[in-house]
Amino acid sequence: MAGTKEIKTHIQSVQETRKITNAMYLIASTKLRRARQELDNTRPYFEALRGEIKRIFRTVSDVDSRYFYPVNDDTPLEGTYGCLVITADKGLAGSYNQNAIREAQRLLEQHPDTKLFVVGEYGRRFFAQRNIPIEHSFLYTAQNPTMARAREISALLLDGFDRGELKEIFVIYTDMESAMSFQARAARLLPFHRSHFVTPPGERAVTEPFEFLPSVKPVLDNLMPSYVSGFIYSALIDSFCCEQNARMSAMDSANQNAESLLGELSLQFNRVRQSAITQEITEVSAGARAQRKKKE
Amino acid sequence: METFQVHILAADKTFYEGPCESLVVPTSDGEQGILAHHSAMIAAIQPGLLRYQVPGQPARLAAISPGMVKVEKNDVLVLVDSVERPEEIDAVRAQREADQAMEALLQKKSRQEHQIAQATLARAVNRLRVKAIGPNN
Repeated sequence: MAGTKEIKTHIQSVQETRKITNAMYLIASTKLRRARQELDNTRPYFEALRGEIKRIFRTVSDVDSRYFYPVNDDTPLEGTYGCLVITADKGLAGSYNQNAIREAQRLLEQHPDTKLFVVGEYGRRFFAQRNIPIEHSFLYTAQNPTMARAREISALLLDGFDRGELKEIFVIYTDMESAMSFQARAARLLPFHRSHFVTPPGERAVTEPFEFLPSVKPVLDNLMPSYVSGFIYSALIDSFCCEQNARMSAMDSANQNAESLLGELSLQFNRVRQSAITQEITEVSAGARAQRKKKE
Repeated sequence: METFQVHILAADKTFYEGPCESLVVPTSDGEQGILAHHSAMIAAIQPGLLRYQVPGQPARLAAISPGMVKVEKNDVLVLVDSVERPEEIDAVRAQREADQAMEALLQKKSRQEHQIAQATLARAVNRLRVKAIGPNN
């Protein structure tokens, strides 16, 4: 059985670890609150934008743009794909990173000719370690997602797309389904397909035709970069929320583990101390009895 | 004067929602004025100066970045990346950004960096212009 001293140091080290996990829990919860606020701020814009693109799409059926799949055709294109993978900068967030990476690997298996653009230190290291080629100049952290950063990322991806280097662009991000559950998701960003724009509830039917100024194509070309950067922005924030959420629950269970460990350890400590005391008393009384016997 | 509903949405916030008497947006063909009962239209917005008149108040100005405007049944939707009031614009920062972008344009960088610098320059110059006009015209 371990001595009191060993148990004491063990208790201390558990207490210190608990302090750290507790601090991480609190930090994650504040970050989560802030990120949620940002997500709520950007949602109306993004949903309106998506709705408008879809309506333009339906109003004029003969749009011919490189951003769109031909009507009624959804076969995968040949050529290099680009894939934006959003991971966290560090671990300690449960299965958050693993899920995103697994999704990326699945995509790689389906289509080996894929160029990876990785956001976040964790994913970058993971792919670098396994010698999976990634775009190395792509150094963005997953912390503090901002619109400016999303714009830079989308400019980079769109540039590759415009030059024809990337035929299709995917985004792998983690979607917060509800407060407690999240899921890694692979979404095709470009080119668009009609079916990808979900109909918002309560959408009014188009009754009168729109007049496009100057014409449909420039309007769409103007909107697309906004849509792509908006999508990337919300994907970044969504992932960031999930990361913080995952970290919160991971740290919460770490705290609980520490609690139960501490309970066990202090019980053990008390037992050891008690048995030491008992032993001492036995020894003392046995010694006293022996002395008394000697006197008699 | 008759009014119509306007929704000005930026990527990071809802800028203004409510009644409006007139709205002027910069499009690729020049400035486009919108009054009540405008015909249905969708237009591309260029970076520039947005002017709108809320009933009973002086005309308001804002610097806006690219996006679109949609008019439908007396309901106007302006969707842009960013909207800033003159008082929100930091002239020093905008000037610095403009200088940096200008410098980046002079150095012969890759095509993509060139495009980013051009867009940044357009935004910064637009901010400076709106700032110079000021909040009270």
